[in-house]
Amino acid sequence: MSPRPRLDHVRRPELLTAAAAVIRQRGLENARVVDVADEAGTSAPSVLHYFASKAELLKEALTSAEERFYEELEIELAGMEGPRERMLKIVQYGAGEGDYDAVLWMELWARALRDPELAATRAELDGRWRRSIADVVRYGQERGEFGPADPDEFAVLLASLLDGLAVQIALRDMEVTPDRVRELAVKLAERELGCELVEGTRC
Amino acid sequence: MTGAAATERGGRERILAAAVERIARDGIDEVRIARIAMDAGVSPSLVHYHFDTRDALLEEALEYSYELAGDIRLGPEGDVDEFGSVRRLAAMIDQFLPYPGMLERDWILYVELWLRAIRHPEMRPTAARLYTRMHEWFAEAIRTGIARGEFPAQADSDAVANRILALADGFGVRALFGELEVSQARQEIWNAVKAELDLPAQPPPPLDPAKPQP
Repeated sequence: MSPRPRLDHVRRPELLTAAAAVIRQRGLENARVVDVADEAGTSAPSVLHYFASKAELLKEALTSAEERFYEELEIELAGMEGPRERMLKIVQYGAGEGDYDAVLWMELWARALRDPELAATRAELDGRWRRSIADVVRYGQERGEFGPADPDEFAVLLASLLDGLAVQIALRDMEVTPDRVRELAVKLAERELGCELVEGTRC
Repeated sequence: MTGAAATERGGRERILAAAVERIARDGIDEVRIARIAMDAGVSPSLVHYHFDTRDALLEEALEYSYELAGDIRLGPEGDVDEFGSVRRLAAMIDQFLPYPGMLERDWILYVELWLRAIRHPEMRPTAARLYTRMHEWFAEAIRTGIARGEFPAQADSDAVANRILALADGFGVRALFGELEVSQARQEIWNAVKAELDLPAQPPPPLDPAKPQP
């Protein structure tokens, strides 16, 4: 009889973080359970104690990395007083800052094209991203700082621009740097919201 | 060229074309060599004769599809003298949107290309070349429009090209998921550049009448 795998202190959240790191480094197709175990400092049987299969582990890792991105963004936004400051934070996050990169996002979106369960998750997460943007627009409008743009339409516009630019950053298109993304996104937001976003300028 | 050489060349090309189709249909992770051989109407041993490994075949199929994607997306955009810059710009944007059928299939493949380039840094120069081509295509059309007096002289052709490409990707992928209609995506992209290019409020109808009218 083989000994029951010893369960150490490593738990699901740590394993999901480790799995996300492995996907980032090796790509989803090459991620192995043993890599995740190494990354988390535990053993493969321990990993499989928490997740029924490798597929389940990787799926959850993709989802939870995105969720963490939105949680962090929401915490940051809540800590800011000014709507313009909040909008700039959104742009900064969309331009690939924060503890996140486009690799996991693209793995999720590409797989969602063929996996209905992931498609539902993707839609939910995308909805969250757009709600964060629309909420900042409403907040700015309530405070009289933003013009009368439709918050939901603006949200899908800005999200689409930032996602498209994120692809180009991820593909290392030399012309498209995070600074360039910020510049393009800020310009679009300023025009749509009828308000200058950059510090020191007026609305 | 001898008959045998012609057949051989045809075989290799057929295998690549079949691989591209299969990647679009099944996703790159699920593609099976036996299936590609069957689609191409060749034996698995001929596939192995042309391509040492599964990876070698898939890499080459993707390189081949980048070229294909470039050729499909970058034209034909219509003659500027016949259609004028405004109508031509609308037709170019249409090439980048996932209309049902052919362009939708190309779009799915295109998402696989992103993924492959992300996973394999050695593919990134190929991906970056495609983006540079696409960028130049739009920037050049805008510069032509400025020279013809159809777009304002102060329009920033690179910034507009960046914006169109990014929005086409961002809206295109959402249209692919059925979150919005392709016609809506078309209108949104138009709205985002119309002030700078002094365009009419509604984009002109697609050049290809087979495409759904907005």
